[in-house]
Amino acid sequence: MFHPKLIFRIVGLLLFVEAIFLLGSVAVALYYDEAILSSLVISIASMLGAGTLLAYICRGAERNISRKDGYIIVTMCWVVFSIFGSLPYIISGYIPDFTDAFFETVSGFTTTGASILNDIESLPNSLLFWRAMTHWIGGLGIVFFTVAIFPIFGMGDVNLFAAESIGPMRSKLHPRISVTARWILTIYVGLTIAAVVAFFFAGMGWFDSVCHSMSVVSTGGFSTKQASIAAFNSPLIEYVTILFMFLAGINLSLQYLFIFKGRAKQLFRDTEFRTYSSIVIIFSLFIAFGLFFTTEMDVETSFRTSLFQVISIQTTTGFATSNYVLWMPLLWLLLCALMFIGASSGSTSGAMKCVRISILFKVVINEFKRIVHPNAVIPVRMAGKVVPSPVQSAILAYTVIYILVLIVGLFVNMGFGLDFLDSFGLSVTSLGNVGPGFGDYGPMDSFATLPVGVKWFSMFQMLVGRLEFFAVLLLFTPVFWKKR
Amino acid sequence: MRVVIVGAGAVGTHLAKMLAVENENVVLLDESEEKLAKMESSFDLQTIVGNPTKLSDLKSAGTGDADLFVAVTPDESRNINACILAHYLGARKTIARIDNYEYLIPKHKEFYASLGVDSMIYPEQLAAEEIATGMKYIWMRQMLEFGEGALVMIGVKIRENALIINIPLKDLAGDIPYHVVAIQRGDETIIPRGNDVVRPSDIVCFMTTKENIPYMRNICGKDRFSEVKSIIIMGGSRIAVRTTKLIPSDINVKIIEEDLNRCNKLLELVDDHVLVINGDARDPELLRSEGIDHTDAFIALGDNSETNILASLAAKREGVFRAVSEIENIDYISMAESMDIGSVINKKKLAASAIFQMMLNTDVLSVKCLTFIQAVVAEFPVKEGSLITKKPVKNLGLPDGANIGGLIRNSEGMHVTGNTVIQPGDHVVIFCREHVLRKLEKYFR
Repeated sequence: MFHPKLIFRIVGLLLFVEAIFLLGSVAVALYYDEAILSSLVISIASMLGAGTLLAYICRGAERNISRKDGYIIVTMCWVVFSIFGSLPYIISGYIPDFTDAFFETVSGFTTTGASILNDIESLPNSLLFWRAMTHWIGGLGIVFFTVAIFPIFGMGDVNLFAAESIGPMRSKLHPRISVTARWILTIYVGLTIAAVVAFFFAGMGWFDSVCHSMSVVSTGGFSTKQASIAAFNSPLIEYVTILFMFLAGINLSLQYLFIFKGRAKQLFRDTEFRTYSSIVIIFSLFIAFGLFFTTEMDVETSFRTSLFQVISIQTTTGFATSNYVLWMPLLWLLLCALMFIGASSGSTSGAMKCVRISILFKVVINEFKRIVHPNAVIPVRMAGKVVPSPVQSAILAYTVIYILVLIVGLFVNMGFGLDFLDSFGLSVTSLGNVGPGFGDYGPMDSFATLPVGVKWFSMFQMLVGRLEFFAVLLLFTPVFWKKR
Repeated sequence: MRVVIVGAGAVGTHLAKMLAVENENVVLLDESEEKLAKMESSFDLQTIVGNPTKLSDLKSAGTGDADLFVAVTPDESRNINACILAHYLGARKTIARIDNYEYLIPKHKEFYASLGVDSMIYPEQLAAEEIATGMKYIWMRQMLEFGEGALVMIGVKIRENALIINIPLKDLAGDIPYHVVAIQRGDETIIPRGNDVVRPSDIVCFMTTKENIPYMRNICGKDRFSEVKSIIIMGGSRIAVRTTKLIPSDINVKIIEEDLNRCNKLLELVDDHVLVINGDARDPELLRSEGIDHTDAFIALGDNSETNILASLAAKREGVFRAVSEIENIDYISMAESMDIGSVINKKKLAASAIFQMMLNTDVLSVKCLTFIQAVVAEFPVKEGSLITKKPVKNLGLPDGANIGGLIRNSEGMHVTGNTVIQPGDHVVIFCREHVLRKLEKYFR
């Protein structure tokens, strides 16, 4: 059962929320006295206009959001938000092509951070701010933001949350979903403010600090500089970025419990947190050695570069201080593996997430044990708790879909004439919401030269990856639309 | 308000739903993950898989900050134990579901309160009270008294022979001593306006005063039903035993029980005027030989809901006027209603409503739950300066789904019209949907 009126009404209301966020850019434009102001005002007016129209046509809708409504609303919100979010780029003329503007916005909201821009510095500050803002909204999730701030949905927002969730095992911090959302938002805002202060004291300007903070905390990857973090040429800023990328990759609920409830044990005993940190340590050490011996970097530089790149890729941020495409192939292949793995569930990062990877590994190991001890009851444990088998099979299904969509992407990209490495890199990076790919589309390259078809399919992959497949792909199954 | 509910059985889940809809902070703890998964996916509440008597599990459910702790697992000792632990952890109020009447005796209650069990709920007793009240006025579905009888709310199933059918309510109005509060038609609950009419097979809620009950019986076309003289109860359950204790001893009561051992046990439990018969109450031969045609009421209290429904159906066919069936499966209730088998008793719903009432603001004098409609009737005392005294009733803008049934002024029941101004010191009786109750509180603050 789904209720079209209700769905469109909520989408309409959400457009108001987007208009409120865009007001931030207006403030920036006013402050810097930029000519783009009128385009921003037109964009806001069209959001408000469309929102009012939808809300008016669909007035008197039901209040109760069903499970199916939840999936449709979430997917539609992301698409509609991206369409309207691209208006500032198009109207101002800085990205006149709709495909490109839409690509930039989708890449922003899904916190991918891949850009089609060739000269980022030429954009006015208000547009750079809007780019960072799309990351910041998308990091937690559009619907999540709205539920935390505006209690507009009434009954059934449980179903919205289920549709926009991050990670396989959800646990609530508080019995009410809106309160849980507010607590997580507190942590998110807190992290952002801390990052702004840290960047500022590390030597960035205020504006760059704010934009980079929003980009880092949401593990997005948009920078205000064409050369990304490398443009600042400051080891201190790099270390600050490393720290906040790492923090953004930790489950926000665990951070909440750690900071406000003092439950340090719960964080450090968490299987996922341990997996995440071990992967970071092992990969960075290995790559640091590789860089030290194969390039001319000194000890500190190779360590810093390796740590930065590993965390940037694993948290799916996609910032760059070094063009890893030029490294020895084994080293960037390791980064490619990290693009699959991703950071923690319940964080703002994308890709598979450590919790799924560690459960997968345990399932595989158990299969071997079962051969040796056919009658043994072998559990899969996470943080001391047994993972029920429906969750296990959901994770296996997730993995299969992940790989399938990845391969389809490979076919599509190669069909449009890209070579294997480019196609593979694009597919992996779009699905994992990372940003940079491999080959000709590495961290220092623009995506502007991609064929239009590839751009559209990459956008689809970004969206599907951000919403963890099922919410979007479900809409393509006949079962979903059947009345009974 | 943080409410921790232990036990996701029928009572626990029903209560959790009611509270979650009211936007309370509900935590539901149970050992079965399956039961919890269903709840968490469709309601805004937190679920925790754990053992109700394990301190660490109770702690992770946030029992320490709980304003109310409700233990409603099937096992009473476990409930009591959980309440004691919850009290120790810092829960402000605890409620345990019990299966033993002795605990409710004031002396023992005090002892349990000293252990940390603040209130106890005995669903069987609640069900028995409900049945016994129903037996007083056999032609009604339910009667609720307010202000020691100054106002009563009665629910009546209307048949073709009623005097008030198919007349718009505004034409009935004038000097009538009653007020139609709600009409239940099929699955739909109507809060009536002047143009609505009562149709046959509606269940109508009237608010009236006690002395007008004979008049109500007349206009509802129920004159031929006299007082209850004899009752047959099917199944010798605990509810049956409690019911026999509450029914006046001049009424002739027979209990039909299939199990001979239980029959022998029953003889020890019930008073002498109760006749215990060994046999199957679904057997028409047996019913006839026990004089079903002279019986005024048939109460089916067997273990099995389906059997109860069938037995009531059979008894109705034999000419019993009033049938009451205990139905444990909440989903069957509306279905049973459409089969025209008389009243339905559900002890889980009763228990959940009783607990719900305990946690409402103490200002509410009483909240009573209707069995045939998803609605409650609440009695509010009116304080000096509260919102409801400010304007005439028609200008108050009461929320949808609420209807003022009447008010009690100086211990006398009065009807309320649009122009009535409510005074401090009055008691107002309001009929409302369950989820509206909270919204009403602000009018009385």
